[in-house]
Amino acid sequence: MPAIAAERLTKHFSPDIRAVDGIDLDIPEGQIFGFLGQNGSGKTTTVRMLTTLLRPTAGEARVLGLDVRRRAPDVRRRIGVALQEAGLDDLQTGRELLALQARLYGVPSSQVKRRVNDLLEIVDLVEAADRPTKGYSGGMKRRLDLAAALVHSPPLLFLDEPTTGLDPISREAIWRYVRELNRRDGVTFFLTTQYLEEADRLADNVAIMDAGTIVAQGSPSALKASIGADVVTVRLAGGVEQLLRAESVVRSLEGITDARTLDDALVIYVPDGAAAIARIVLLLNAESLEAREITVHRPALDDVFLRATGHHLEADASVPAAAAGRGR
Amino acid sequence: MSAFIQGSYWLGVRSAREALRQPAIEFGNIFIPLFFFAVTVGAIGEASARAFGVENYLAFQLPVAIMQGIAGSSGSSGLATVTDIERGYFDKLLLTPAPRWSLVAGRLGADALRLTVIATLILIAGLLTGSGFASGPAGIIVLLIMSALFGISYAGIGLAIALKTGSAQAAQLGFLLFFPLLFLSSAFAPKEFFAPWLEFLATINPVTYILEAMRSLVIEGWDWGALVAGFACIFGLGAFTMTLVFLALRSRAAGS
Repeated sequence: MPAIAAERLTKHFSPDIRAVDGIDLDIPEGQIFGFLGQNGSGKTTTVRMLTTLLRPTAGEARVLGLDVRRRAPDVRRRIGVALQEAGLDDLQTGRELLALQARLYGVPSSQVKRRVNDLLEIVDLVEAADRPTKGYSGGMKRRLDLAAALVHSPPLLFLDEPTTGLDPISREAIWRYVRELNRRDGVTFFLTTQYLEEADRLADNVAIMDAGTIVAQGSPSALKASIGADVVTVRLAGGVEQLLRAESVVRSLEGITDARTLDDALVIYVPDGAAAIARIVLLLNAESLEAREITVHRPALDDVFLRATGHHLEADASVPAAAAGRGR
Repeated sequence: MSAFIQGSYWLGVRSAREALRQPAIEFGNIFIPLFFFAVTVGAIGEASARAFGVENYLAFQLPVAIMQGIAGSSGSSGLATVTDIERGYFDKLLLTPAPRWSLVAGRLGADALRLTVIATLILIAGLLTGSGFASGPAGIIVLLIMSALFGISYAGIGLAIALKTGSAQAAQLGFLLFFPLLFLSSAFAPKEFFAPWLEFLATINPVTYILEAMRSLVIEGWDWGALVAGFACIFGLGAFTMTLVFLALRSRAAGS
């Protein structure tokens, strides 16, 4: 039985806004599934439908074998969710918040204290446990939110952009918890992210979401291999006209699988990119086009994203630089 | 213990804790009605017997102060719910298996407790300044029950608006509605002394009957007719506002 199965899952907010437009999902148990896309691509809407917070307009979705529409209370009982904004009550302490969460999930009273203590230890919040969450840093709030989602030991956890806006150390901590829970307890994760590095490093499988539809799906390595070529990026002296002329010229080279103008660069897909550089430069020189900078790299998820969507993944402006970097 | 009772209880504990940690909010809800109480009694008290036959204007005004305090404080329900919605905590609660209605019942249960404390403090202030209480200790208990029931019924307006709109400004409208209702009732004088149009409005205003029921306990003793009318108005108001809360909660839980 898949942990999550969806068929033509759709959410329209008005006839014009197709937030999620008929997506299919088949996610096995025990997997970390990365749902990659930029803001507004439909990731959060998908999570809200799968977690019963939002009623689908059309299509079917089953979570742990339970229909999200007909068995919503049973779905909620069996899943853990940490939404995009760490939803906490500023006036409660971390310990009180976890204890309340445990009681609402029906954890027996005799076990609440121990469960809360265990969770505080797992997310390294023992020292801050008796302080109101108002004084917590962003990273502490995310960790507490993650602990709250784990309070009833769910077999499936939805994390909606769990590291957005976090510093690199807090981000690494969240990744560590996710990996541990997945490996040690077999917890399945549905993790949305706008960070390529996060998807690349954590996920067993990735779906790339763009404008409400899934445009590519597979393991990060398979997706990167699907590019079937190295990526050569050329920056030229001159403007868009030169770039477009260069694109047209380069396409005539033997072995080039694709070439695209993107922003201020020409992106060329070619097997054995290192060997192709000399040919590319010679060809451009012959056309009086001056290459100012040429780089070559193995395909990354960003290249997969670019191929699938026609644009780079633009992460949130508040993201630390390292997180916005390319995955490898 | 059923999931509903358990959920309501623990969410009620959380709401009560929230109130205890923000005592300044409740200070205003007690001070302002007592201020109006003192000013109104000071301005009209001496003349009330000659003007409209009320000998003890302090006792006449005490239920008005209690209702003002309760109406003001009951607005906190809607505002606290808006805060939960804005912070995403309400979604977190919706994601738990706790029955949806327990999210509201817990808050209203804590409100009932909080409003009883506020009513008690205003009542003590009235008794200390010499209002007297004709129906004795049992009457005090009935008045406090009546105050708490009115408070949670009235809180339903702000709560329904909060759940439907998620807007603090809109939720505050629930409290502002109370002022016209109070001024169009027999709050300051018996309605028989009003101009005909105002007497008509006071006669169809449920606040008039709730005030008169409370006054009967303070001034006259046990007037069963007034009490039945007062409780009927409270239950009618409660049925109306809780229906609004139910519809708003259903809409929010469905996520539109």
